[in-house]
Amino acid sequence: MKLAILSFAHIHADINAPIIRQMPNAELAAIWDDDRERGAARAAQYGVPFVPDLAELLRSDVDGVLIESENARHPALALQAAAAGKHILCEKPPAVTVADARAMIDAAARHDVVLMTAFPARFSPPVVRAREAVLAGEIGRVVAINGTNRGTFPGGWFADPALAGGGAVMDHTVHVLDLMRWFTRQEPVSVYAEVDRRFHDIPSDDCGTLAFEFSGGAFGTLDTSWSLPEPSFPTWGDVTMEIVGTRGTISLDAIAQNLTLYNSDAVKAQRLYWGSDMYRLMLDDFVAAAGERRPPRATGEDGLVAMAVALAAYRSARSGRTEPIWEPG
Amino acid sequence: MRVGVIGTGTMGNAHAAAYRRIPGVELAGVASRSTEIKPEQLLADPSVELVSICLPTHLHVPYATAAARAGKHVICEKPLARTLADADAIIDACRAAGVRLFVGHTLRFSPDWALGRAQVLGGAVGNPGVARTRRVAPFPAGRDDWFADHGISGGVLLDLMIHDFDWLRWTFGEVQRVYALSTRGRGADRADYALVLLRFASGVVAHAEGSWAHPAFNHGFDVAGDRGYLEYRMDRSVPLSISRRGDEAAERARVAVPESPLAEDPYTAQIRHFVECLRTGAEPLVTPADARAALAIALAAETSARTRQPVALEGGGAR
Repeated sequence: MKLAILSFAHIHADINAPIIRQMPNAELAAIWDDDRERGAARAAQYGVPFVPDLAELLRSDVDGVLIESENARHPALALQAAAAGKHILCEKPPAVTVADARAMIDAAARHDVVLMTAFPARFSPPVVRAREAVLAGEIGRVVAINGTNRGTFPGGWFADPALAGGGAVMDHTVHVLDLMRWFTRQEPVSVYAEVDRRFHDIPSDDCGTLAFEFSGGAFGTLDTSWSLPEPSFPTWGDVTMEIVGTRGTISLDAIAQNLTLYNSDAVKAQRLYWGSDMYRLMLDDFVAAAGERRPPRATGEDGLVAMAVALAAYRSARSGRTEPIWEPG
Repeated sequence: MRVGVIGTGTMGNAHAAAYRRIPGVELAGVASRSTEIKPEQLLADPSVELVSICLPTHLHVPYATAAARAGKHVICEKPLARTLADADAIIDACRAAGVRLFVGHTLRFSPDWALGRAQVLGGAVGNPGVARTRRVAPFPAGRDDWFADHGISGGVLLDLMIHDFDWLRWTFGEVQRVYALSTRGRGADRADYALVLLRFASGVVAHAEGSWAHPAFNHGFDVAGDRGYLEYRMDRSVPLSISRRGDEAAERARVAVPESPLAEDPYTAQIRHFVECLRTGAEPLVTPADARAALAIALAAETSARTRQPVALEGGGAR
């Protein structure tokens, strides 16, 4: 399956590109970027053609695209790719408005292409095992989940609300909120959020603590802050869930499979991850789903719901009240 | 100094053990309704100067006020009372009787939590932004299962998390508003669990987790600031773990029992401090006003969990 990467604005593009080159059933066939210099440099780095004209790339025999642009630019790229019959793996959040995310879902359906949201955490084996335990009833009925998805500040456009649709809350709400839905099979109903800028001198928020109510009576909280210090913190962030059920509890730390390295040339102790590569597993599912024309593990709809929760969190921060996820009307 | 303890539960025993370790203190007796010595006898003994109230929360007000009226100084277990009106009744009774009131917010005497606060106040993480606390435990055993009676104990929000509310306020100042989610009223039976968001006047955001649904005790905190991140988890800071083979009970449970030995345990440090304050007249590390403010935060969280909306604290819970 021939894949192209559209934009290297998102840091995950540089995670996915080398993985695609190692996949026996996939090929990185082309790179497009609205930043020509960046696109050409990555094309040279990965040894693939740089195609500066998006229409030309979409006319080629590429089967699918990875959209790795700034969040606000996802929809335009996705609509063109869908119209050209290309399968789409879109970075999260899918868009910065509900209407745009819906338009992407509708376009993918209309043109019969797979639209997957890049939620790699759904492919982490510890996450998958925790979900199996929940669904098997090992801890009874889930009543509450205390989640964290904190990180260091990613820099650049991530803090530009016009391009990112927000800041830390938009960037980090979606992964673990998505896992909460996936684990409980309950939909988020309302959110209360404390949102602020406390860590960096940037235009966007960098601090978010969210509280959710779910349709089946469960509740959860999530820390989305870019609160972990650079350069001293040993890794990029965390993904944790404390899941409380009526008959037990589960503690999940999705990226705990590490060695610890103390090297005197570095300013900090380092965590060397040896767990399974969730990005590889996600790309495998995208390629398989596209080949079989089946829904991927994380759909466009999954991306839409998670994004809508982040938008509702911003509304709550403005109103100081609990806000429904879906605005009436 | 002769002292007495009212209450024979976990905390009553902890206070009694602490008194026995403090030089110059003589334990006159440990009283409850079922012991040989009755509370009334302790309170009627003119040689007893100080009494620890280690009873279920709703009994703090009758016994603490009776002790005050009998002219005894009072050490009351946390939470000070079940309601602010009861807390005020205790504070007022002690003031009227001219006796001192100390409240057992032991976390302030726990070296891990005290060091964490000192580091934050000393600027170790820069300007603090988000703080998180965690306190999880099995459902506690109490006489007549009183912890399960929400009207008496207040559940995890009041009985357990008041430790964290006090530590957070001690570290970050007055609380402006709280938002709380609790399993109470959601058919979760004895999985008493709560998550609380706190916003401080300083702008700090805090998240507190409290649980009586976990298999083993654990607690900890982390504080993220604009220059650093400070983290503590008890279960990752265990210096000693003893597993015994050939011990039937231990093998059945298949658990190593963690221990964290200190030169002086926090209960003893706390009670030694209170006794010292009595001797010197010094202000204690935790005042009745602090205990009342922590109670106000917990009660606001209880209201928020019920109404499912944030609750503002007027004056940070001060009277």
